[in-house]
Amino acid sequence: MSYTRRYLLTCLGYASGLGLGLRSATLAAAVSVPADAAAALRSLLDDRTHARALGGSYRAHCPAESNPAVLTRLILDALALHDSGRQPLQRELLLPAFDRRVRAEFGAGDTVQLRGWILARTEARLCALCG
Amino acid sequence: MFVDARQLPQDMEVDADICIFGAGAAGITMARALSGGNRSIAVFESGGFEFDVDTQNLYAGDVIGYSYTPIDRDRLRFLGGSTNHWQGSCRPFDAFDLDDWPIGPDALAPYYRQAQQICQLGPYEYDPQAWVDPEARPITASSADSLKSSMFQYSPPTRFGTVYRDELAAAGNLTVYLHANLVAINTNEAASSVTGVEIACLNGRRFRARARHYVLATGGIENVRLLLNSTRVQKSGLGNGNDLVGRYFMDHVYVPKAATVLADVSSPEVRFYDHHVVRGHAIEGIFTASDELRRAKQMPPFYIGFRVPTPAIAELGVERLPAPLRGLLGEGLAHSIEYYYSRTASSMQLPAKWLYEKMWRTPPGTFVTCYCTGPNPDPQSRVTLSDTVDVLGLRQTQLDWRLPSDFEQDMHRAHQQLAQLLGRSGVGRLRIESSETGYDPMQDVSNAHHHMGTTRMHDDPRYGVVDRDCRIHGIGNLFVAGSSVFPSYACDDPTMTIVALALRLSDHLKSLTS
Repeated sequence: MSYTRRYLLTCLGYASGLGLGLRSATLAAAVSVPADAAAALRSLLDDRTHARALGGSYRAHCPAESNPAVLTRLILDALALHDSGRQPLQRELLLPAFDRRVRAEFGAGDTVQLRGWILARTEARLCALCG
Repeated sequence: MFVDARQLPQDMEVDADICIFGAGAAGITMARALSGGNRSIAVFESGGFEFDVDTQNLYAGDVIGYSYTPIDRDRLRFLGGSTNHWQGSCRPFDAFDLDDWPIGPDALAPYYRQAQQICQLGPYEYDPQAWVDPEARPITASSADSLKSSMFQYSPPTRFGTVYRDELAAAGNLTVYLHANLVAINTNEAASSVTGVEIACLNGRRFRARARHYVLATGGIENVRLLLNSTRVQKSGLGNGNDLVGRYFMDHVYVPKAATVLADVSSPEVRFYDHHVVRGHAIEGIFTASDELRRAKQMPPFYIGFRVPTPAIAELGVERLPAPLRGLLGEGLAHSIEYYYSRTASSMQLPAKWLYEKMWRTPPGTFVTCYCTGPNPDPQSRVTLSDTVDVLGLRQTQLDWRLPSDFEQDMHRAHQQLAQLLGRSGVGRLRIESSETGYDPMQDVSNAHHHMGTTRMHDDPRYGVVDRDCRIHGIGNLFVAGSSVFPSYACDDPTMTIVALALRLSDHLKSLTS
């Protein structure tokens, strides 16, 4: 499952020139919640410069969310990880949760269109968080 | 038996039980189905065994509506007709496609099975789940999805004039007259019965034919042209008492690059939607509207396919040389080159063609979607006659093809639904192309070279030209074969349905002549 996510995001960057890609290196072993949550989420993306292009479109589309704290909260809420207490955000925890959430959003039609790309809202927010 | 009509005595008369005009998919299918008994069959084909520029030019006409392939380039006018350059994708119309037809799926089902063999296809099975392969399987849609997986089977493609030529030559009680153009349909004073027809050859030879029953199988534009040119009794054209002949013209609208898809090409769920071979049969997965979406009738039928983006062979049906080169070569030579190029490209064996396409592959995992739809019938989209007269004395056609105003909106909507399906199933992501992304798909909208609807089928003559038996309303012995009788258009290549309807009409004529 995580391979699929990585593959898709890599492809997304490759073909669109956006340079999105999951960081291949191991994520930081532990990120505290919520203080470091934004950084943990941002670290999922290898090339944030290009993610910002899509993220900028999202923030323009949803100005009320144009705030890192708001975006982080919304993503964590969506991933249902904010209640994980003091557990650090592990890569193994993030990826399947992200995948499940994104699929569910596609299934529910909770998508946004950014520069033509149709993305699940949470992955669009992740891009926006890189801004 | 084949006869070169140019060598026949001037003013001779052919007598037969059934005359068929046109030897394309419909005409050849009927000739094969009707021959061999004790009824005599005469088939009149405008062309010969091979492509000929002068004959092809008889198709010439004007395009006055939405941009369309020049009419004389769109179809082929020799033995086998346009099967000489079709690409071979086949899928029977489903029950939703036939909603507006006076005949239902049960009436066509047995003929589809025969058509499957005639088009040299695999087993009559179009459920994608029956074609699951270890390396290719369809995405399983949920009940919440608005799209579902469907599939085409691919004919070799069958060139009817080549594959069935020997059989036609050997068939009993069948004569195929080549280079023989129908130029007049004569009727009694009430225009209730055809009394005979006039045939002309390009070398000036003319003769007549008489039969108990007549079948027009010359294509969705030529059928109209022949009827509207027959004005001796019915001044508005034969069968045109309700001003319907030529109306409801439709072609499938084809957009070769509507969206970009990123997906794992090694995934079986992706490979299913690329051309591939399963148990020796060429197939291709496509996405179509779910049953629920079809039932709601909110969108016309459509399919979305994946294509590897290629800078070449964007269109195998008809290729056009650049205008300056055409000028240098002259119309005749340019036309011949265009034809043979298209023919060669589309005749490549499928695996070789696909390999060629893959050589152009751009970033791994990148596809474009092709979008094809059969819009709802529009009476303003029509074929009429111009004042220009061809060398045989027939007025030429003018085509006013119209696209529905909500076409682009429907295309976007379909792709949004595909994006949801791909995202939900974890297969990929999709970008809808538009001027915002740097490429506007509407600039490459084209027709699919399928002429349909112009003599539509309806039980009520106020709404249709032919009845459910494909007989022209009000005329006892004149029938129409081919896609011009389609009252709605589905989104599939019409050949298989043309063949099925031709078989059904053949059975009807057998019952009338037994």
